[in-house]
Amino acid sequence: MSLLTAIRKLWRSIAPRTQSDVEEEFRFTLDAYQEDLIRRGLSEEGARRKARIDLGQPAAQNETYRQAIGLRLFDELGGDIRYGLRGLRRNPSFAAVAVLSLALGIGATTAMFSLIYAVLLHPFPYADADRIMNVFGVDERDPDAYTWLMLGKAELDEMRLAAPVESVLGFTLANVEITGGELPEDIMGYYLTENAGTFFGVRPLLGRNLEQSDAENGGHSVVVLNYQFWQRHFGGDPHIIGRTLEIDHASYTIIGVMPRSFAFNDMVQVGDVYLPASRIPVVNLPSAATVPYILMVKLRHNVTRAAANSVLEPIAFEDLKQRTGRIPDHAHLALQPIIWIFEKNTGTTLKLLLSGVVLLLIIGCANCSILLLARGRTRQHELAIRCAIGASRWRIVRQLLVEAVVISCAGAVLGVAASYWLARFPMLLSPDSFPAESVIRINAPILAFSVALALLCGLVFGLVPALRLSRRDAAPTLPGRQTGVVAAPAKHRWSVLIAAQVALTLLLMATAGTAIHSFLVLMRTPLGYDPANVMRVGIGLHNKNPGEWSRIQPREARIAYIKQIQEKIASLPGVSTVAVGVDATPPSIGGAFYERSVQIDGTGDHEQPQARVTLVDQRYFAALHIPVRQGRIWDADENIRGDFIAVVNQSFATRYLSSSKALGRQLRIPGLTPQNPYQVVSAQSTAWRQIIGVVGDERNDGLDHPVVPAIYVPYTAVMQTDAQFFVGAQGDPLNYLNSIRAAVASVAPDQQISTNSFNGTLTLNQALERDAQYRSQRLFSILFGVFSAMALALALVGIFSLVAYSVAQRTTEFGVRLALGAPRKHVLWVAARIALVSTAVGIVVGLAVDSFLGAILAHWMENTFAAASLIAAAALLGLSALVACLLPARRATSVSPTEALRYE
Amino acid sequence: MTKPVELPQGTLEMLILKAVSLGALHGYGILLRIQQISGERLEILQGSFYTAIYRLERRGWIKGEWGESENNRRARFYSLTTAGSRQLKAETAKWNDMAAVVAGILGKKADEI
Repeated sequence: MSLLTAIRKLWRSIAPRTQSDVEEEFRFTLDAYQEDLIRRGLSEEGARRKARIDLGQPAAQNETYRQAIGLRLFDELGGDIRYGLRGLRRNPSFAAVAVLSLALGIGATTAMFSLIYAVLLHPFPYADADRIMNVFGVDERDPDAYTWLMLGKAELDEMRLAAPVESVLGFTLANVEITGGELPEDIMGYYLTENAGTFFGVRPLLGRNLEQSDAENGGHSVVVLNYQFWQRHFGGDPHIIGRTLEIDHASYTIIGVMPRSFAFNDMVQVGDVYLPASRIPVVNLPSAATVPYILMVKLRHNVTRAAANSVLEPIAFEDLKQRTGRIPDHAHLALQPIIWIFEKNTGTTLKLLLSGVVLLLIIGCANCSILLLARGRTRQHELAIRCAIGASRWRIVRQLLVEAVVISCAGAVLGVAASYWLARFPMLLSPDSFPAESVIRINAPILAFSVALALLCGLVFGLVPALRLSRRDAAPTLPGRQTGVVAAPAKHRWSVLIAAQVALTLLLMATAGTAIHSFLVLMRTPLGYDPANVMRVGIGLHNKNPGEWSRIQPREARIAYIKQIQEKIASLPGVSTVAVGVDATPPSIGGAFYERSVQIDGTGDHEQPQARVTLVDQRYFAALHIPVRQGRIWDADENIRGDFIAVVNQSFATRYLSSSKALGRQLRIPGLTPQNPYQVVSAQSTAWRQIIGVVGDERNDGLDHPVVPAIYVPYTAVMQTDAQFFVGAQGDPLNYLNSIRAAVASVAPDQQISTNSFNGTLTLNQALERDAQYRSQRLFSILFGVFSAMALALALVGIFSLVAYSVAQRTTEFGVRLALGAPRKHVLWVAARIALVSTAVGIVVGLAVDSFLGAILAHWMENTFAAASLIAAAALLGLSALVACLLPARRATSVSPTEALRYE
Repeated sequence: MTKPVELPQGTLEMLILKAVSLGALHGYGILLRIQQISGERLEILQGSFYTAIYRLERRGWIKGEWGESENNRRARFYSLTTAGSRQLKAETAKWNDMAAVVAGILGKKADEI
């Protein structure tokens, strides 16, 4: 009962009385007065008249009532709004153009704002996310390059006690397998220190998070599930808590499911399961104390990062020194907020895109201003009448502004609806640039933003026309309905708007041209290999299953196992080549032997050559069509032995060897040793190797960086726990995926091909599309292309409607001109003159602004601002503006003089 | 016939409150009562009269309720609310004060200053 009744009661106490209520009361008074008058001797008709003269009409009483209680302003605004809507209905083409102009701008701006909100303002669900820091090692000579610092348990505990630190989370990620089912499934597991629950402060969707007691007795076998994994693997079963999940042949109890927004750790790869750190398998490790952790540090309130850096650096570096023997020169510890990576990679992109959409919005607003001004000329008669019957200038300005706001609100409704999809667009084009945890949804701040935007737009584009049209001297005398043959009054405001619009459009078009140009340049960069019809298929060896691992752990067994799979795949019909590589997928080749110091015979110690060591087999070069420049590639026997030979790329030869005499030189890679207990090396992996061949430069450091010197070594030199096959096929290699899967399973029934991000199936063309530079350039090209197309369309519509309106207004004038013998060419010029001149001015201004902004833009977009694309954009704009002018202007020349003069 | 008096701004509302304080009245009744008490000397502008009533009702000083008039028609009767009677008291005191001061000043003779 109560709430509804209470609301009804409250409403009755504040609601105004109804019209019939007010009128009935008034009628009673009127009648009573009338009867009194009759009693005093007036005739019935006379009394009726006098009562109405003294008291007023009952129909007007409601207005008196509403004015008395202060509702008049609302009534007038309501009237203006209704009038505005009626005006839009009466003139649907005007309404459609105006509303769509704004919907484009507002929709795009809202979408971009929600993206920025989701990515930069509120991306993480963690408690006190602004105080959570990643721990990086940086080289002070190159502050932009960073590496994740990994520390042991002892240092982690020591850091926890440090003064500036509130808490520390340590984690390691591992490929784990769900076993116990028909086929094992490899998933991404995170081992988290058991304070994870309090550190993140995120309420689990179901059950609980890890807590300190889970570390007792060598770690409880419990697991917390990621939302997506829960959906995928358990179909979102709400009764999952307490069931068990077999991971790496051990049984774990499911204790919790995290909410959808929790996607730890999207900087690397989102985890499927979260396990207690005490359960990290210590097979083949000296002890649990040597497990390296990646850290997240939550600082106390009011602690500066600099202060924390200086306290934590000695702790971290002590550990580093013990494990690796030395601390790199110029190395420092740097804490960075967890948002930093995304800000760094995506922040400028978003700012650029935001300025793009704001430009679009301004152009849309200018368009509406032009349309309102143009329409205003036909309304001057109406406004003059309003003035004449006593409307103040403020009243007329208000009415015109309300009408403008009605248009912009209609645009905003459309725009916000569209923004829901528009915001997904950049994420689809470039999924990895945004934190996975940032879910885009239309929420209160975003709605508030777009409503404010709509009101602002309405005021901005409505103000100029409103001020202009409400000027008393602009209103013609009442009876003359603009029938004169007088040329239209000066329209410099239109011209300014058109010129500004054209200049801004040119700016957007030039930016788009630059983006597209540099994307084309990027696409044309020689890759040094042929990505067509080659696919990477990865496998992970079962190093967690002790029985199986003991079988394939020895080097020879591992080589045989991989070779067996390789041959099975190669025997499939349609497959032409199968090569093996480890972390050797271009255009960014990384992996365990990222950068290594090399010794070259005959050079002193003063020089420290660095090279990217790439582990492949002899077929790799043929599979990727990498040309052999000198010498030869190793053969099958040398491949199995793994030692004494090496192939280098052209960059290596040019940089470190006088390239003509590269063959036969000796080099040594001292760092070619096991990096973890699962790796096994060839007999003399660090011994001297002879350079037997030089191959062409294959992109190995991303598309935007030059090729770095590389040494190719047989993958058998350092056998790892995973390997990738490069499968060349006839046609799209993805078509062969099923038969490849079957071929792999025929070697070992529980051997799966990997599905994770760094080892999963991927064609080389897909790998190319994942390149950061490729992605951001493509994003810029497509989005700015779309923006500038929209802007161009808006500007053309603006020019077109301006000319069309003025031609319609001046029909009589053109008729007279033609009747007096003006050549059609001249009439055409008169009709299109203003629009043409202002477009030309706009283009000139735009060119000037662009060359000024060019330098800034070039810096932001990290490429050169091409003069050619600027000229092309200007030419395209000028040409289409000419068409937009002449199409409606031609109507002026087809005016029949007699008909035009008959209007008089 | 005595000369009509023009009402200073804002006093109409006070008079309505006073009229209603003597018992619930409909709009026309209020008008009649004010004229009656004033000895027909007040000419109330009809337009502003209802504006004043609406405003007083909105402020919650008088309360309107539908009832039956002396000739059996539906009419809206206004009565004073608690807030209204407080307001009437305060306004009356203020008016008396002001009248006394003004009268005192105007009543002074030259030798008394």
